[in-house]
Amino acid sequence: MINLKINGIDVAVEQGTTLLEAAEFLGLPIPTLCHMEGLTPYGACRLCVVEVGKAPASRLVTSCTYPAEEGLEIRTSSARVVRARKIIVELLLASCPQSKTIQDIAAAMDVRQQRFRQEQEDCILCGRCVRMCSEQMMAGAIGFTGRGQDRAIGTPFDAHSEVCRLCGGCIYVCPACELRCTYTDPEQAICGGCANIGPPCVEKPQFDDMMCYMQPCVACEIKED
Amino acid sequence: MRKLITLDELIGFRERVASAGGEEAETPTLVVCAGTGGQASGSNDILRIIKRQILEQNLGDKIELRITGCQGFCEMDPFILVEPQLHLYPRLKMSDVSKVIKAAIGGYVEEDLIYKEPQIGISFHSQNDIPFFKKQTRTILGNNQMLDPIRIFNYVERSGYAALEKVLSRAEPDWIIEEVKASGLRGRGGAGFPTGKKWELARASGDGQGQKYVVCNCDEGDPGAYMDRSLLEGNPHAIIEGMLIAGIAIGATQGIIYVRSEYPLAIKHTMIALRQARELGLLGEDILGTGIDFDIEIVRGAGAFVCGEETALIRSVEGFMGEPRQRPPYPIAKGIDGCPTCINNVETLANIPVIINRGAVEYAKVGTPGNTGTKIFSLVGKIRNTGLVEVPLGMSIGEVVHDIGGGPPGKARIKAVQTGGPSGGCIPAHRFDLPVDFDSLKEAGSIMGSGGMIVMDEDTCMVDVAKYFMAFLRDESCGKCFTCRKGTQRMHELLEDIAEGRGTLDHLDLLEELAVVVKDTSMCGLGQSAANPVLSTLRYFRHEYERHIIDKRCDAFVCKDLVGPPCQSACPVGTEAWRYVAYIGRGEYEEAYRVIREANPFPSVCARACDHQCEERCRAGTSGGDPIAIRALKRFVTDRIDPSTYAPVREEWKDGEPPRVAVVGAGPAGLSAAHILSLKGYRVTVYEAEPEPGGMLYCAIPEYRLPREVITKEIQSLLDDNIEVTCNASLGTDFTVDSLLEDGYSAVLLALGAHKSRPLGLENEDVEGVYPSIDFLKAFNQRGEQLAKGRVGVIGGGNSAIDAARTALRQRDVESVAILYRRTQLEMPAFDEEIEAALQEGITIETLISPTAIKTTSGLFSHLELVRNSLGAPDSSGRRRPVAIEGSEHVIELDTLIVAISEDSGVDCITPAREGGIEVTDWNTVKADPNTLVTSRPEVFAAGDVITGPNTIIDAIADGKKAAAMIDLQIRGEELVQPAKSIEPLLYVEATEVDADETLDHRIETPRASIDWRKRNFAEVEVGLSMQEARAEAGRCLRCDLEFCEKDQSEARVAGGHKK
Repeated sequence: MINLKINGIDVAVEQGTTLLEAAEFLGLPIPTLCHMEGLTPYGACRLCVVEVGKAPASRLVTSCTYPAEEGLEIRTSSARVVRARKIIVELLLASCPQSKTIQDIAAAMDVRQQRFRQEQEDCILCGRCVRMCSEQMMAGAIGFTGRGQDRAIGTPFDAHSEVCRLCGGCIYVCPACELRCTYTDPEQAICGGCANIGPPCVEKPQFDDMMCYMQPCVACEIKED
Repeated sequence: MRKLITLDELIGFRERVASAGGEEAETPTLVVCAGTGGQASGSNDILRIIKRQILEQNLGDKIELRITGCQGFCEMDPFILVEPQLHLYPRLKMSDVSKVIKAAIGGYVEEDLIYKEPQIGISFHSQNDIPFFKKQTRTILGNNQMLDPIRIFNYVERSGYAALEKVLSRAEPDWIIEEVKASGLRGRGGAGFPTGKKWELARASGDGQGQKYVVCNCDEGDPGAYMDRSLLEGNPHAIIEGMLIAGIAIGATQGIIYVRSEYPLAIKHTMIALRQARELGLLGEDILGTGIDFDIEIVRGAGAFVCGEETALIRSVEGFMGEPRQRPPYPIAKGIDGCPTCINNVETLANIPVIINRGAVEYAKVGTPGNTGTKIFSLVGKIRNTGLVEVPLGMSIGEVVHDIGGGPPGKARIKAVQTGGPSGGCIPAHRFDLPVDFDSLKEAGSIMGSGGMIVMDEDTCMVDVAKYFMAFLRDESCGKCFTCRKGTQRMHELLEDIAEGRGTLDHLDLLEELAVVVKDTSMCGLGQSAANPVLSTLRYFRHEYERHIIDKRCDAFVCKDLVGPPCQSACPVGTEAWRYVAYIGRGEYEEAYRVIREANPFPSVCARACDHQCEERCRAGTSGGDPIAIRALKRFVTDRIDPSTYAPVREEWKDGEPPRVAVVGAGPAGLSAAHILSLKGYRVTVYEAEPEPGGMLYCAIPEYRLPREVITKEIQSLLDDNIEVTCNASLGTDFTVDSLLEDGYSAVLLALGAHKSRPLGLENEDVEGVYPSIDFLKAFNQRGEQLAKGRVGVIGGGNSAIDAARTALRQRDVESVAILYRRTQLEMPAFDEEIEAALQEGITIETLISPTAIKTTSGLFSHLELVRNSLGAPDSSGRRRPVAIEGSEHVIELDTLIVAISEDSGVDCITPAREGGIEVTDWNTVKADPNTLVTSRPEVFAAGDVITGPNTIIDAIADGKKAAAMIDLQIRGEELVQPAKSIEPLLYVEATEVDADETLDHRIETPRASIDWRKRNFAEVEVGLSMQEARAEAGRCLRCDLEFCEKDQSEARVAGGHKK
């Protein structure tokens, strides 16, 4: 058992527990986005940062990836942590304001405005879809491509995937698109699924006997036009 | 090459090679640098010619040729160094080569081509004496000069693989780690982690059974850094030896050199070196029979800066996309394929053989405690001696920049140095006394990084620098962490907004907040240091950001949207120089006059005596050609057009009696203010202490530069019914500030000027024959007294000195005139064209000389004691301080001495000002708010030289205009604020078509009267341009204003269209 001190509370956890799990065990709220039960932690969104160590050598680390160490002292809501999280949420709102998940996090942190130039993106590159496809669905059809500003989710060389089984897991776990396809209002569709990877209904001309778990999907509507 | 099988064979081999080399030591050797930089400068052509000559003339036994990698003296490429005398012949042309070969064989120095220090003009025959090399400690880089990187024999000859020999001859490798620890070597890649400690941890890591890796990180991604490239290109065997020793120390059997694909020469040389080392038996299995296995493979980067980061590098080696991961676990514990991996920088590894050969104690003697050894820096940017320099850690930045780097290449002063590349920060010039070491730089807000040192001067905009680095980091971010990816993007957006004139002060706060969070929350070093360029420029150069935001100005003239047409931006009164030049080109001279006169009440005066800051910024000049002769063109127009062509808009004061304003001083500042106020309807009384108005224009500037009639005519055209000028009335004697205000003036403007020469402070300064320059000039200009006689000496280097010198030369009884200046000609503040005219007229300029005593004979001035100077460290003005050379005292005989070192407002003006309740400074100027020009008394304003000390005419005019605007706002009860306007053309002037054949490719020469004729009289020296000349010169204008005009919907061009 490893002994830690979180927010002044002593807790003992098993080897291999992450700081996030330890904090959740104690009931301390830590916001997350790219983290999901059942998927390996990735550490992309940086929302779950906590402060470890003693000043002046303390630093912020992502609690979802950091393994518990003996004697570690952690603060989950220090001023430095809160300041960081608020800016991160502002940046999220500045890119992807339509996501309900992000809006809820913003409301919970009392962030009411964002001061950057507004963008309307439909992907925050959290990687949940990639990990879902590779680890839970054992397919590995999609991954990260490109670097920096050009980073995107896609199939290798953007070619049609032979291994995608159209399970829709990627769309299911995406925090950026919350609503199911709004077939009654295709103009308002915010689902990134069709845009990121090509489900067969968009690509193959005949899709009557395809397995489609969304019913009916906006792609059907668009296709029919 | 026969493979060496045992350690004894290596020892024997080394001995044989070393002794064979000794026989050839007497033959002169031509050393040519063929590193990447050298080849780009043309060393391949030099080599071809040398080789051809050697073959054609059978010089094989008379001369040797050694082709080396980069030696670091890149500014001087392509050069030939002749050993053993170390004669350095820099910047050779192909036609010079045969002369150098002849000199080398003959054993003499070819004086025409040998290295000469630019500013002093002295030639240095030995490389060791050249200032660039003298202060360096070229422990590592020096080897590059001595060997051909693709010949392993050269390396062995220079004690190559002696360290390996030492390591292999002792059984247990623990001592290696102890030795490296004791040396204090810290990683040279940027983080500065103690290498010995890293190796110790690496050794202890793993279970003793599995694979371990030694990696050499040559992914040098920092823009401007090329130290590692030069080491790998120039001496790859040093790296191989270092890696071998590392492998033996930590128990690794596989080495990897990770080198970026952008270094093809380094890759080529390394591949050759590895092959040779393997052939010799120094790499592979069972090396020299010791049972040790070690081999090295090369892995090439694929163009990502982030792969310089350890964990990203490991991913790249494994074949994946270079993406960092969280640490712990550190690569020492879990690296490539999960195995312990020790990653070291190229330079760190190059230090290892030095440590083993010399011993840790000797090695640690160089540098400072905690920062031992030397470091190679790439000194680039606005510096005279661009190249690689190797200095002991702890040397001050100032020494590196000035003593080794040679200081600035031109007149612009050095402002800051960026260390550590995009992850680093800038160190401002006032902190150049900081030692270059890991800890000091970190404390100052930067990092040492891999050793890039980019020098920046006054023409570098720090906001632009931050924007540039942020764009680089945004493009190179791997994109995994949200904060790094989005943070760099948003920081760049904010910097772009500021640089393009859309910034607000809130943006600065947001930028800082965001920078701190990006630093705190990013996973890897790229993100964590991404904020450094922003944070350090904000720390030391916040005023530049504020200038961009509040005043919408970029003082370095870099941010195009804030500068507009540079000529207009540079002019203190904002004259649309581009516009009147365009009108001249079209033949519309009256339009041109109106443009000039609108901004400037003294067009004819300025056309003759302005310092034309517009020409300094003219893009025709800054882009490598000649600036447009704007002042000459202005003169062309003002000579032709009558002032009555310009009819200014006049306002009438609305409510009742117009308020009265008193202006003290009828110089350019005072008269400009009076004119503007009169246009707004005020009644102005101008009080002038001298018998004539005009201030310094009349008293000090000589007739041959500015004829009296021109001044009189110009002032006459400004005076009108609203303005009354009263001469022979002095502040303090005839009236006071209080008396003016009691008299009913609503405001008082002090435009007293700086018209009193400063004394040298030496004894005998008041004897006959010694004159302060302003008194000397006034005596002649006002009363026709010719005070100069015989041999005249003028002390000073500014315009006042040149004016005094040229005036003295024209006086009846004068034989010769010499100007004595304490620094070099390059630092003289006088206008270049004045210095040129003075030299043309036969005036001599003695530089680096200072007076120490004034001596008299029978009560008259007879001779001057002087001392010679050398230039020392820079003072607060950024110029190098003159330091007297001991033993250089000497005496010259003179008949007249004129003191022209500087001017101020003099106690006669300052005392009554002070007594009137105006706050003054210790150096006889008046204090005024820089934005509102209000003094310590709310109704009293000041303008011109009385605030700044001696300054230019146009700056005084600008101040006068500004003071008038402020006085107007105050009297009307409004806030003393003028909103910032960005400079941009407000209308479109059609471009004239110019015939390519007729366009001049160089600037028109300043037409001057012949030298012999003009020395004898005070007639105007400069002659006006002819119509043909003026049209041709105007045709050279690049019309920078058109950049800001776009076509609107009707396809017609409009100004201001580009602003979105």
